[in-house]
Amino acid sequence: MAKYAMVVDLNRCQGCRACTEACKIENNTGQSMFWMHVFRFEDGEFPDTRMSFLPRPCQHCDNAPCVKVCPTGARFKREDGLVLTDPDRCIGCRYCELACPYGVNYFNWQTPEASQYSDVIDWDDPDIQSATGGLSPPYRNPDLDEEWGSERRRTAGGNHDKGVMEKCTFCVQRVEQGNLPACVDTCPVTALRFGDVSDAESPVSQFIRENETWHLLEEAGTEPSVFYVGGKPPSHSYKEVERPKARV
Amino acid sequence: MRKTITLGMVVGGIVLMLIGYLAAAPWGADTVANSDPSFGFAPALFVLGVIVAFSAALVYELMPDRPER
Amino acid sequence: MATQTNTQTSMLPQGVGRLTTTWKLAMAGSFLLFAVGVFAFVRELSTGMIETGMRNVGTMGGASWGLYITMVVYFIGVSFAGITIAALIRLFNLRHLRPIARFAELLTVVALILGALAIIVDLGQPLRGVVNLFRYARPQSPFFGTFSLVIAGYLVASLIYLYLGGRRDAAIMAQYPSRLQRFHRWWAAGYRDTPEERDRHRQTSFWLAVTIIPLLVIAHSTLGFVFGLQVGRPGWYGTLQAPAFVALAGVSGIGAIIIVGAVVRRIVHDKSRIDLDVFAALGKFLLAFLLVYLYFMSVELLTLLYATPEVEKQLSDALLLGEYAWIYWGSVALLVIPGLGLLWQAFKRRWNVGWLVAFGIAVNLAAIGKRYLIVVPSQTHGTLLPYEVGSYSPSWVEYGVVLGLLGLGALMIGTFVKVFPPIPLREDEEVMVDA
Repeated sequence: MAKYAMVVDLNRCQGCRACTEACKIENNTGQSMFWMHVFRFEDGEFPDTRMSFLPRPCQHCDNAPCVKVCPTGARFKREDGLVLTDPDRCIGCRYCELACPYGVNYFNWQTPEASQYSDVIDWDDPDIQSATGGLSPPYRNPDLDEEWGSERRRTAGGNHDKGVMEKCTFCVQRVEQGNLPACVDTCPVTALRFGDVSDAESPVSQFIRENETWHLLEEAGTEPSVFYVGGKPPSHSYKEVERPKARV
Repeated sequence: MRKTITLGMVVGGIVLMLIGYLAAAPWGADTVANSDPSFGFAPALFVLGVIVAFSAALVYELMPDRPER
Repeated sequence: MATQTNTQTSMLPQGVGRLTTTWKLAMAGSFLLFAVGVFAFVRELSTGMIETGMRNVGTMGGASWGLYITMVVYFIGVSFAGITIAALIRLFNLRHLRPIARFAELLTVVALILGALAIIVDLGQPLRGVVNLFRYARPQSPFFGTFSLVIAGYLVASLIYLYLGGRRDAAIMAQYPSRLQRFHRWWAAGYRDTPEERDRHRQTSFWLAVTIIPLLVIAHSTLGFVFGLQVGRPGWYGTLQAPAFVALAGVSGIGAIIIVGAVVRRIVHDKSRIDLDVFAALGKFLLAFLLVYLYFMSVELLTLLYATPEVEKQLSDALLLGEYAWIYWGSVALLVIPGLGLLWQAFKRRWNVGWLVAFGIAVNLAAIGKRYLIVVPSQTHGTLLPYEVGSYSPSWVEYGVVLGLLGLGALMIGTFVKVFPPIPLREDEEVMVDA
């Protein structure tokens, strides 16, 4: 059985947030929901300030607090390491969100739009057509309503239903078909890597072996599947600049 | 008779609770794909067990002395 | 016929069946509140929880649990004291406290129903929640205890306790011809007050008390675990959460019993039925729980001030000096002042019902404040990743729903006292005629 993991190379990340955009389009997430969020931090006193960036997808923890607290088993961990949400079972208690130390869960506070971006983007525009290779919309979004994995649960994509929790899925719909998650695929500087860590010869395993890695909030004991390379864990002297739009 | 039924309900309730609990809690299931109860509505069985055990008190007090025929 | 029934109804003890103008006005007011709550909830159901003030923790800068969860914890806390006192009365045969046993149990039942409803209104998918909890609930989740032990076990046990404890009075009431006779007959269920039946009731109430007291300590601890087991939020993870929950539950519950007791005393128009000794005993109970809770609180505060990790410091600054400071210090004042007042009354051995009611209201407000401070600030301040500080203030929908719940509670208690004597009838006062 494969065991998926993501590596975030902070030496390369430019904070461009292309991953955030790719995620939103692929997963059709609602406004002000960021399954992949990139922190843009400022540290130090002017003029001695330093910028740093930290992409924050769901950490797909092996010891996931959200899975433990879910009262109905809507949040579950697959054998391949993916932590997913079943929107048909979720009762919307939001306990997972509060158990998670990373703040990666997003609740559908209102009835989601079927297609979040089709009204904003004119998919027939020739420029977009040329960029998407004639596919419009460019991804299969929002038609991800299939049952995925051996559990046969409808876990992919966002904007399922009012009053249920959703979060980063490592793009289960793409991974199951042998593709990379949208954020990894889009990153222009290959700051994000994704692969099977149960296979010691896979590129991602080799990369982890060759570099010093750390996890976000290691002290929380969540055993994340997301590895960070370079940079250092964010401290509370960091100030977040350029926050995305905060409220719905 | 009264005592037997009451005791039976208490024991039965506890048994239901145990079955419901064990079926609802597949220990260590957090790491595998599916952590569902071993059968549907197992938690309801647990709750039913709690209710049956406490309802024994009702039976003990309300049961008529001689069943009317 | 109708007039005859009415005159006969007026013979029922403790004002049962007699609807006074004050009562009608109070019930109309409560119903109005309830209607507001229903309106607000329908709004929330149709538009979604966007109508509330809650938002996601983190990038959205909100709090995902707010006033509703605060009230869940508060209501379940209130339920603690009623059944505890009722059980203690039966276990240790505290005869002088017998008058308060029934409405204490009633308060438990009502508070538990309100707590369950407060959980339901907090769910994003309320209907699905009712089904899926029974279908898939996982004991690994701290919610399992809240749902199975608190709501199911504890509510059923309290209802059975209330029902069985009232059978003798129901049989007495059923002797009066009234519109409620059928109801009282149903409640009495053939009770004839034979020595065997009395004996049996003594046995069952003893065993129920023996099982209920540990059950409710466990149940309230599971509620503390909902917060105390989470490392992901500053200020939640701690061993003291569960016992502190039980202690504050005792404080708010006994405070509520004092308030309801004073109201019942007015309704039945007979002060001798609940005399000052009863209030003195309740005052002492309240004082004891209050001291225990204040001790827990001081320990927690000292720990926080002495050795504070970075995120906990952000949280404690917000609590003690920042935007939550007025709630924090207000709650502390509403706990300490009644504590001192109770000490004074205990020292002087002069108990005053008016002051006790004031203290009861004060500690209940403080309990709501403290529950709010457990639930909300850990979400807006001191997130483990350096998100910006968030904010939360309840919307009118949340206030409306909570008022509606309180109105529903008042309706339930108000209805009960008019269909059944809220104070157990004195053993000497009405003799059972063997039917």
